[in-house]
This record gives sequence, structure tokens and C-alpha cells, in this order.
Amino acid sequence: MAVYDINRILMPDAPSEYVDDTGQGHYVPAPCQVACPVGTDAPSYIAYIWEQKFEQAFEAITATNPFSSICGRVCDAPCEPACRRTDSDGPVQIRNLKRYVMDKLGATWTPDACPVTRKQSVGIVGAGPAGLVAAHDLSTAGFKVDVYEMSDRPGGMMVWGIPAFRLPPGIIDEDIDRLHQKCPGLDIHLNTALGRDIKLNELKERHDAVLLCIGAWWGKAMGVPGEQDERVVDGVGFLRRVNAGERPQLPHTVVVVGGGDVAMDACRVAKRLPDCEHVIVVYRRGPKEIPARAIELKGAVDEGIEFLYNTQQVAVEANGKGLSLKCVRTDLGEPDEDGRRRPVPIAGSEHSIGCGMVIAAVGQQGENDELDHLGMMLKDRVKTEWETMRTKDPKVFAAGDGAFGGSTIVMAMHHGQRAAYYIKHYLEGNDHPLPYRTPYRTRRVPVAQDLQWELLPEQHPKFFGLGDNPIQFPEIEETYSRETALKEAARCYRCDAETGSADYSVQQREHIFSMARTNPLDAAKNHAMLSCLLEVRENPVPDNKPASLDDIVFLPANLSRLVIDPYREACKVDTEVGRGLPISHPLLVTGFDSTPVEVRQAVAEGLKVVDSPYVGQQPLSDDGRWWQLLTRATPPSHKAEVVLYSAHDLPASINAARPYSGQLVGIYVSDPMDVPKAVQNGLDQALDVLLLDGSGSITTPWAELKGAPDFSLLRDAIALLRKLDREEEIDLVWFGGIRSGTDAAKILGLGTVAVVQGTAIGIAAGGEIQNESLVFNSDLNEDDRSTAVINLIKANIGEASMMARCTGKTVLYNIEPEDLRAITLVTSKLTGIPIVGTGNSSVTELI
Amino acid sequence: MVTIDLAQIPVRDANEQIRNYGEAGEDVEVINPDARHHIGVGLTSPISVHVKGSAGYFCAGLTDQATFYIDNNVGWGLGDNIYSGTVVVGGNAGAIPAIGIRGAEIIIKGNMGSRAGQVMKAGTLLCAGNANFMAGYMLYGGRIIILGDSGERVGEDMTGGEIFVGGKVQDLGSDAKLTDMTEAEHDSVREFLDRYEIPFKGNFQKIVNAGQKLRYGSPERQMRSIPFFTFSGASPYWNPKVQEDIHIKSQSGRYRIRGYGTARALPHLSDLAFAKDLSRINDSADVISKVHMYTEIGGLNGANPLKLSMPVMVSPMSYGALSRSTKHAIGLASAMSDIAENTGEGGMSDAQRSAAKQLIFQCLGGRLGWNIHDMKRADGLEIYISQGAKPGLGGQLMAKKVTKELADIRGIPAGIDLRSPSRHPDILGADDLVIKVEEFREATGYRLPVSVKLGAGRVRDDIKIAVKDGFDFIELDGMQGSTGAGSSEVIDFVGIPTLAAIIEAEEALAEIGRRQDTQIVLMGGMRDGVDAIKGLCLGADAIGFGTSVIIAGGCIACMQCHVGQCVTGIATQDPNHEKRYKPEIEAQNIHRFFESVRWQIAAITHALGYDDVRQLNRGDLVALTPEAAAITGLPYRPVGSESQSEVLAS
Repeated sequence: MAVYDINRILMPDAPSEYVDDTGQGHYVPAPCQVACPVGTDAPSYIAYIWEQKFEQAFEAITATNPFSSICGRVCDAPCEPACRRTDSDGPVQIRNLKRYVMDKLGATWTPDACPVTRKQSVGIVGAGPAGLVAAHDLSTAGFKVDVYEMSDRPGGMMVWGIPAFRLPPGIIDEDIDRLHQKCPGLDIHLNTALGRDIKLNELKERHDAVLLCIGAWWGKAMGVPGEQDERVVDGVGFLRRVNAGERPQLPHTVVVVGGGDVAMDACRVAKRLPDCEHVIVVYRRGPKEIPARAIELKGAVDEGIEFLYNTQQVAVEANGKGLSLKCVRTDLGEPDEDGRRRPVPIAGSEHSIGCGMVIAAVGQQGENDELDHLGMMLKDRVKTEWETMRTKDPKVFAAGDGAFGGSTIVMAMHHGQRAAYYIKHYLEGNDHPLPYRTPYRTRRVPVAQDLQWELLPEQHPKFFGLGDNPIQFPEIEETYSRETALKEAARCYRCDAETGSADYSVQQREHIFSMARTNPLDAAKNHAMLSCLLEVRENPVPDNKPASLDDIVFLPANLSRLVIDPYREACKVDTEVGRGLPISHPLLVTGFDSTPVEVRQAVAEGLKVVDSPYVGQQPLSDDGRWWQLLTRATPPSHKAEVVLYSAHDLPASINAARPYSGQLVGIYVSDPMDVPKAVQNGLDQALDVLLLDGSGSITTPWAELKGAPDFSLLRDAIALLRKLDREEEIDLVWFGGIRSGTDAAKILGLGTVAVVQGTAIGIAAGGEIQNESLVFNSDLNEDDRSTAVINLIKANIGEASMMARCTGKTVLYNIEPEDLRAITLVTSKLTGIPIVGTGNSSVTELI
Repeated sequence: MVTIDLAQIPVRDANEQIRNYGEAGEDVEVINPDARHHIGVGLTSPISVHVKGSAGYFCAGLTDQATFYIDNNVGWGLGDNIYSGTVVVGGNAGAIPAIGIRGAEIIIKGNMGSRAGQVMKAGTLLCAGNANFMAGYMLYGGRIIILGDSGERVGEDMTGGEIFVGGKVQDLGSDAKLTDMTEAEHDSVREFLDRYEIPFKGNFQKIVNAGQKLRYGSPERQMRSIPFFTFSGASPYWNPKVQEDIHIKSQSGRYRIRGYGTARALPHLSDLAFAKDLSRINDSADVISKVHMYTEIGGLNGANPLKLSMPVMVSPMSYGALSRSTKHAIGLASAMSDIAENTGEGGMSDAQRSAAKQLIFQCLGGRLGWNIHDMKRADGLEIYISQGAKPGLGGQLMAKKVTKELADIRGIPAGIDLRSPSRHPDILGADDLVIKVEEFREATGYRLPVSVKLGAGRVRDDIKIAVKDGFDFIELDGMQGSTGAGSSEVIDFVGIPTLAAIIEAEEALAEIGRRQDTQIVLMGGMRDGVDAIKGLCLGADAIGFGTSVIIAGGCIACMQCHVGQCVTGIATQDPNHEKRYKPEIEAQNIHRFFESVRWQIAAITHALGYDDVRQLNRGDLVALTPEAAAITGLPYRPVGSESQSEVLAS
């Protein structure tokens, strides 16, 4: 699938037997995953690498790819050109990251075995990537599978086409061993060629279905005069000889014709063989058009291979002891049917290249005499229908290069998966299964929190090139170190995942990306896009969503508030409570009555610096400001500047004369039912403060962690006071769920004079949330804790002031209910704040 | 020397004549000025204008190279934003003389009003008498010489520049300090006084920025944002985002800053659906030719309107928040799709001007990059009152993004943490605003539409004032709008959603009977043609796209715009990062995005049975959620209800 074709906009359903996460919210397969023919969940394994969870990374890598060790080294990696970072400072090195994990775990990992559970069996011809992947998928689905391989090794082109300096034999063994461990019912019959050793009819008798993966084993001819000379060889044949162990002596100069991966491997092999000094690659298009993977091309150039672009061979001539390759120069003409610009010979540009050998790497083809005889072959491959992977014989399927022409390992693997899918349905009697689609999974790994992610350049492993003893074919490059692997992993954009943006969710961003890649004249794509956009989003206010401070917004000052406080870059935050008790700012603190002593001390020091009173049953320190929460058992202390009686446990008469001069007296109320009593008592006895406890129990440690606070206490207290027209007679202080300065400003705006913070300060002081409580086991020292408390309170004061300034106020306490609006009905209902827009809350009835 | 008699002709005609004489090199004498506003505004020729009497607001404002002599007193905003030239006032000056000047020498022989030299960038302001309060307020550069007393809070929140006080320094403003004056500065001030023959024997005290504010000991730890769905919706109250905020604030000691728009899902146009069956969408092949989409914006008061090939424009985004390459790409794309681009705050670059076919020039309180020459080459002028992402606050640009080139274009020193004021120095009320709008019109010969940009808050009131102030159109930005840097709490909790904003605006206009002739451009979280068409149905005349434009051009929404090292080269001024951005390629992508929007608008309009986008109306929509129904007053038809399922089935 091209990354931005219509299927990305309207993705067809994946067959239900696969795990596919595309229907889930907050996930869109990233371009790299879509570009991967087997749908590898690259973003997840990259993120796991950054987290150093290598086993999880291994699982993500191998889930859809039985040849991950091989792919880690030699995959064509279509993911990398698709990587969005390619356009910035180079793609994430996805293949190298895979290699890093496979080098770590590939040889030792033992997968769970999938036993044979079905009666039917499948015979597969060819143990290349298509055949073996199909074998894997069919085996894991429970079928008995037999693979018939004409050579003496399994692996096909992975073994015979790729030289050992890129893919050491041990790596292939790793994957094959793992395949056998996972698929105990899989038998590979070596040295068994179709036609020579076994007939198709025998296979059809022996098995319930047959899959032909005969490969494109034979090199195509260049089609120029003189190529019959024995010094002209085909690229795959040449590689096969070398991979069989030969190290032939070559002439001084070798010309390789072609620009694909076979040409790259052939030229680099030649360069390593005895006596070969000079290797020239002749390619008929330009460097921009060459199909070879950039990294192989670079490797070849780094190893001293010469490239002649825009040069096309026209004849081979024997020239004494050597050869002369006659060529012309080319220009690029109009695009041909595959979209690439056709090379056009330039008149008068004829020239010759002298050499001792020509390796023609201009394409491969499949051949099989028996299939030909049976009329199942096209010119160069098995005649196969892509939609069903079937041949003309209803029992016989085909896949891979031998069915669809020369391609890449990973594409052949995709063919194997497709074929396995259609064979499985055929064997289950389903002739019309849902069309196969590569399934896409996500493991939802969090985004790497590496602060350097925007800066880190591509990390390249050390490149050895030819090495000290080229003829031994030592491996050309090293694997990553842990450090470089982590750096490379940090570079991933994570196109699959949500960032913090709500309106530009991953799905929405992909829509915009697709729109930006849609030809305005492409009506089908435009229609598809529109049908996606018309889909209904999830209601951001689900039925069970409680009223929340989060759903209250401030109305900013614009034209209508210009004349209020015109120089509003500053904001006043100090005030007085009750009968003249000054407070430097409205943020009080509670919750540390029973925390470890070092935490208490650190918080006490911090509160002194920012002049925040502590609200609790005991003082935090001898010399800090303290508002005492009284219980029946404790008498008022002269050390407290405010004493607060529990509304649940009010004495018959609060001593309104105050036990100690200058001390303020109030009530704290935790039960909504007690609000009327508390208000009445407070007014009757001319008390200073009413502390409204929305947490349900201010004296219970970290009661706020039980959930959202109950704002009805505040709403009811204000309603009562307003009804009595006595709002100015007692100061309201709020406790419960204040997480930020913004929360504080909202509660102040609703009519309180101060707020008490508990859990937020506890978290700053090193508390970790566990089982609805805070646990202090972090290794912060006392200074760190104090500083954190000071910083958080300062930050929250700053935030609250900023909200005041936004509303056009230069005094924090001037925020009014009128400066607030609700954005959910339930919040509007519970706080009495009107909803934005029409303000038509009658719709509430609909809920 | 020619004489212009303001008792005979209006200021508008007089200014036209002054500019013509200026081009002819002829000096001018203005008689009977009678404290009229805007005298000489917009003059860009090196002639001399002698005002024989007193002048009103903005005398000599928005000029370059000219010399003004005013015999008596002047009103406020003397020499507003002068680029270069000289102004000599014989008497007193009102408030904010030399506001935002970018050069020039201004001499006031009497006293001067409050906030002299506010947001001034360069040049010299001399007051021979006393200054009123807050002289040098938010001064960015240049010098103020006060021979008399300083007034209260002198140098309040100044960022750069110097203030020399010959009399008493009454009290220093926030973040200002006294320092020693160098010999060279002393000589330079003396030379200036001698040149204007102003006798002064006393000594000076020098006031500069103290460097205490806007500089933070511990920078905020950079984090990649927590995905919204882990903390919005029905998730726990003390969620991971809350905890992260607490941890980070307890390290930095201040509010958090980030880029982008809201991190919480708010009521949105997405919560509306179309009332009619849209099955006709599928039989519309060439819909674009079947629907009239051409839209003119801003012609209400006779200015040349913006001519949009569809009711869409680019929302204001600054060169500063965005890289030059990004602005270039957006300009190119806007021209290809034949819509309007907007400079955002911070000035107009040549590349941007030449790329965009139609360009709105935005004016903010800091007057960064604001100047008469770019005004004249703009296609529209916009007074920014606030923006949806951070209404009520000023802009913030981290020092890392204030490069030499950027500083030059904005007229400020390079490398400062740049904070622009939260409001315009010369707009303290609706009445001032009328005079400001008139100044812009005077300066540009009444040729350009003048708009106002409002972050959505008290929309009902604000819209009525904007209409009364005579703007040519209104840009209304809901709280889902984005920013390059702002307080994360302000982004998420200040302002009202775009959906609510357009409803309130429409109701307000209906109340004052101005629905028919007032044009509103709605922006803030607009992502595609479906959002756009819902905005149009609700009454908007055009739709502004901002964030979606940069996403179309490669933004990955990591929300780290404020850090300044944007991985894609969009929100950065670092050349090593900017080179990652390929303007020609991204311009094509952005263009295709706009063309998709065009197709979507046409397809839906057509499917609704119309052939003109102006036929779209409220009746075309229903609400899918109780919130959306309450906010809009539209019929509530949740998914699954009978009529809704028909719509969805189509």
C-alpha cells in the first residue's frame, strides 16, 4: 500500500482472525508501518528500545516477521523512506534498530511451539522468504506443512542472493532455527526440485493445497549482441556461485550492468574477489532514479566502486584478451508505464568500456519446465491472480518473485502471508474471504522522553567496508551500541500516537496530511476523505463525567474590559481574613499531620518562606503560622492564629469572645448536610471563617485522592449567605481538589477568600500516589522538599494571578463569578455558573 | 511653502494634500489646526510641516523622514510609530508621546503625559519639563531624556534602552534600576541638547532594566506532552498530567509554558451534524463548478475588500513563532489557492509579501515590526486585541527565537526574552479605538480594510463594541486557537470554545440589528472543510485556518513550539533546524490542503441543495451532544436517534 493512497483514508477492514488496532481510537498506523509490507509495528519497538524493554521490542519485531534477524541486516526497509523525519534531518534508522534487538536476543530466544491441530496439510515449493513465511503462517494456524526446496539449504534468495559480508550465515540459521522451534509440524525437504524430484501431481495428492514459491532464480539477458560470451555472466548466478563458497579469480576490471540490489551485491562481491581491482557499475538512468537502496549504494561507493550513470549498454565485443562493452549516453525522456522516466540514447555518444568480465544484473525470472509444460507459466513467472493468489489449478496457489516478478525479501514475505491467508480460507471451504489486508497493531508504548530528540542526528553504526581480509567477506558494519541505539530510538516522531493536542488528534492530523497529499482532481479520494470527516467523534463529555473545575473557563478581558485596570501586567495577591488577619496570598496548606517527620520539617520550612499558614490538628513547627482543626478531644491552642471547630461536632456554644486575643474562630464543614447549620452558627456567633471541605474529610490524610471534590458545599453555602444577604459577614475558605493556581483562581472567583491545598503540596514534597494515599519513599532530601513546596506555591500564585490578569483584574480577589463560564451542563448545574454560548441550560432536561 | 487651512477642509483631505506636497518636495504650513486629530499621519517624504497651533491625537503618527513643528500643545500618541524624522512641540504633550517609535527625534518643550515612550524601539524622546507616571513603560530601545522630574514608576518593565533624568527620580518602576552614566552618553546627551538649543546645566541620573523579571533560574524541564485522552474525559481527578504539572512547577517555580492549542477536548463544531440527508454528496462529480464560493471581505466602509476565491483565509501566525521558510511556504500556498495570508505579530518580510497575493498586516500592542511602509504595501490591516489561545495576555517569544534578523524586523534588540504587552498603549477604551482605526485609515488613504482580532471571551459585549468602533470586519478566535508559546493553563482554561463564540457573536449582532452587514471571520481549531462549513452555517462569513495549515506543511503537533528547536523546521529560528523545511514542497502540500477544503465546502453545500455558500444557515445543523445543544440552541439529535441515524446512514 502506498502510504498516502486512498486506503490510508478509508482503510479496508482487516480479516477478523488478525489482531488489528486500526479501528481503535487514538491510533493511526504510522507511515513507516504502512510502508512495511508485513505491517511491522515499528513505532512500538522503537519506543520499547528507548525504554530498554528489549524483550517487548523483540516481540513487536517478530510478531509478523519470522525473518527478523535477516531483515535487521538486509531488509530493503521501505519504512525508512516513508519516515516523516526523512524530510527533516534523515529517517529514523529503523532497520539498524531492529538489528540491534535481534543481535541481542535473536539467537537465544525460544518461542512457544505451535502444534499441528488440523488434519489438512499444505505442500510448499521453495524455501525462500515467500514459501517459509507462508509455511510459518499456515503452521501457526495448525496445518501440517511440508516445504520442498531444490537446493541444499533453506532461505532462497536470502541465502543464495545475498553475500555473507551483508548477511553472515549464522544470522540466517537464527531465523530458521526459531522457525523450526515455533513450528514443530514444519518439514523442509532439501534437494527436492519440482519436476526433477517430485511432480506437481504428487504434491496435489499428498497435500490438500499446494503453494508454488519457485522464486526468480535466473538472470535475465541484457538483449544486446555479444552477450553469449562466456565472460558475460548473470548477476544472480554469479552471487549463487560465491554464496556456495567459491572465490573465483576475476579479471582486473569488471563491469556490472544494472542499478538494483543484485547489481549492488554483485559489484561489492566482485571488488572482494582475487585480482579484481576496478569495478564499474553501468546504469542507464541517473543517480536520482537508481533503485538500489541508498545505504547499499553508499557502501559500494565507499568501497571504491565506480558508477557510470546515464549509460546504456548496446553490445559486448571480444577485444583480444578482454571485452569491450559498447555503450551510449542517455537522457531522461517521458515517464513510461511504471512512472519512471525512460532513458533515451543521445546520438553520437557511443563509447566503449574495456573490461575482463561483464555481470548483467538487469532483472531475474522464474523458470520451471514442469509448470511450463502444464501451461501454468507466463514468460517469466507462474501465472497467478493477485486477488486470490491462485493459479489456474484450483488447488494450487503461488506467491513471491516466482509469481509476481523480482522484488524484495519483505515483499516476498508479504506474498507468503497473503497466500497463507487465502489457502487457509480455501481449506476451510470459504471461497470468498474478505480481501486480505495487512493488519496493523500498536502496543501503545509511551513516547520517549528524551530531551534531545529534536536535536539528535542520525546515528550510524561503525562501517568497516572491505575489511582487512576482503576475501573472507567480513561483515561490513557493526551493530549499534546501547547508547547509539537509544539515541536513534529517541529520534522517532511517533506518528502513530497522540501528542497532547486534543483538536489535532493523531486521526485528525492524518486527515490533514492526507488532504495535503490529495490531488484536487482525484474525486474518489476527495469523496473518501469527506466520508471520514463526516464521522461523528466521541462525545468529550461522557455521561458519567462528573462536574469538574476543569470545565470552568475564565472570560478574558477584551474590548469590553479595556478601562478596568489598564496597566495590568502586575497583580496584587495579599489580603485579610476575618477580623484583620493578613495573609500574603490565598494558598494555605494541609495534610501533613501524620507524615514522616523529615517531610513535616521540610514542608514547615517551605511554608515559612512563602508565608503560607498550615491547616491541621497540630502545628507543623513551633514558629510557623497555624490554623488549628479542632476535634472534640483537643482544646484550642494559643499557638494557632485561627481555630476551626468541626461542624459535625459543634459545642453548644462556641466561645465567640475568643479564647485568645487576636485569634480568629471558625467552623470547618465536611458534610454537605451540615452546611446550613455551619452557616447559621457562623453568622449567629459572628465567626470569622467558614472552611468548606469538599474532600469529605480534611482530617483524613489525603482524602482528596478519593476523587473529584464535592462543590455543592460551596454552592449551597454561597446560596444561603446570598439569601440572607450576609455574604460579607463571614469569609469562606475552600479545601478539596485544588491542583493548580488555576483551580485556586476559580474557587476564589466563586466567592472564597483563600484555598487550602493538600495533595498537590504532598506530591511536590515527594509523595507518590498509591491506593488513594500518598507514600513518601522518594530519596529527596529536606532542602529539595522545601524548595519544591516553595516553588509549587509560588508557581500556583503566579498562575492564579495570571488568570486574574486575563480577566482584566490587577487584584486576585476581584475575580467574580461573572468572570467564569461552564462548558459542561453538569458543571453548570452544580456550580450555578452559566454555560457558554446561548446560556440555554434548559437542555439540561435532555440529559 | 503652502498653507493648508483646517478651518476650510477636513483632516482627511488635508492629509491627502500633505502627502502629495510631500511627494513634490513642498513644505507645508497648517493653520487653524484647533487640536484636530491625525494631522500629518502617514507622511513619508522629507518635508517640513509647521502646525500653527495645537494638534490632537496622533499628530505626526506613522510617518517617516518628515519634520514637524507644532507651536502649542499636542494630544496623546504624539509621533506614534515614527520611523525617522523630527518632531518639535512648543508646548505640552498628552499621554504616550513617542509611542512605539522606531527612530526619530522628538522634542517636547513643556511637560509630557504618562507612559512616554511606551514600547519605543529606537530614537530619542526629550522632554524639557516634567514627565507624568510610567515614562519608559515597556521600553525596548532608544533613549528618553527628561530634564525635569521623572514621574512615578519610571522605567516600569523596560526591556532595553536608557532613561536619563535631570530632575528628581520620583520612584523607579518594576524591574528598573539606577546606574552610572558613561562619558560618551553624557557627551551624546549634551550634543543633543545643544543641537536643539535647549539650555540645561544639571546632572543626569540614568535608568536601565534591572534584569530581574523575565529571567528564570531554573528553566522548565522539556517534556513531550502527555496524550490528552489520559487526562480528559472521565479519567481520575489526580491524573498523570496533573502530577506532571505539579512536579515540573515544583522545580521551576512558575507556570508551565508550551505551544499549540488546547490539550483538553472541548465542545467543538465536531459535536454538530447536518440536519439533512447528505446522500447527494455521492453523485456530485464536479462540485466546485456548481457552487459559488467567491467571497469579498472588508468592503463595508468603502475600502478595497479582500477577494477570496472561497470563504477561507490563513489565520494570523507570526514570523517569529514560525520560521521564515514556513511563512514563505504559507504565503505561496495562499496565493496558489487565491485566499488571504496574515503576517501575525512581528512584521512583514519581503519574501512573505511577494509570496502572498493578499496579505493582512497585524498590529499588536508591542508594535513589533509595525511601520508605515509595510502598512502601505498590505492588503488589509488588523488590530489585534487578543487571541483565542491566550486572550488577555501579551505575547511571549523566548530569547532563543529572537535572532538578529528577527530583531531587526521587529525593531528590537536581538536575544532578549521578548514579552509584548497585553494591550495597546493607545487603546484603553472603545473611544480610543475609534480614533486608532481612523489613524490607520488616514495613514493608508482609506484604501485598506481594517479588522479587529478578538480572542473569544465576553463575545456578546466585545462584538457590539467592535461594530460600534467601525471595523470593516471582525476576526473571532475561539479558545481552540493555537500559539507558539503561552501558559498551558491559559491555553486550556481562558476563553470560550469557538462553537460558543460564533453563537454569542450572532446573537449580539441580531440584538443590535447588524447581522446583515457585519462580517465575521471565525477561527480557532478549524481543521477541514466540514468544520468550515459548520462555521459558515452558524453565521461566519469566512473561516481562518492556522494550525491545520502548518500540519499540512509537515508539523507533527509535538507541542514543543516554545522550545525553539522544532524538529521539522517550522517553529524555530535556528538555521540548522530551519533548513529541514522545504518551502516549495510544503507550499504545494498546503495548497492541496486548501483545495481539499474547497472541495469539501463545495460538496457539502451542493449536497445540502444550495449553489452558493451564502445560502448555508443554522437550519442545516443539529446538535449531537447535550452540551452542543445547550451552547448553540440547535435541536438535539444524538447519534442513534431516528432522524440522526438517517443522516449517518447516508
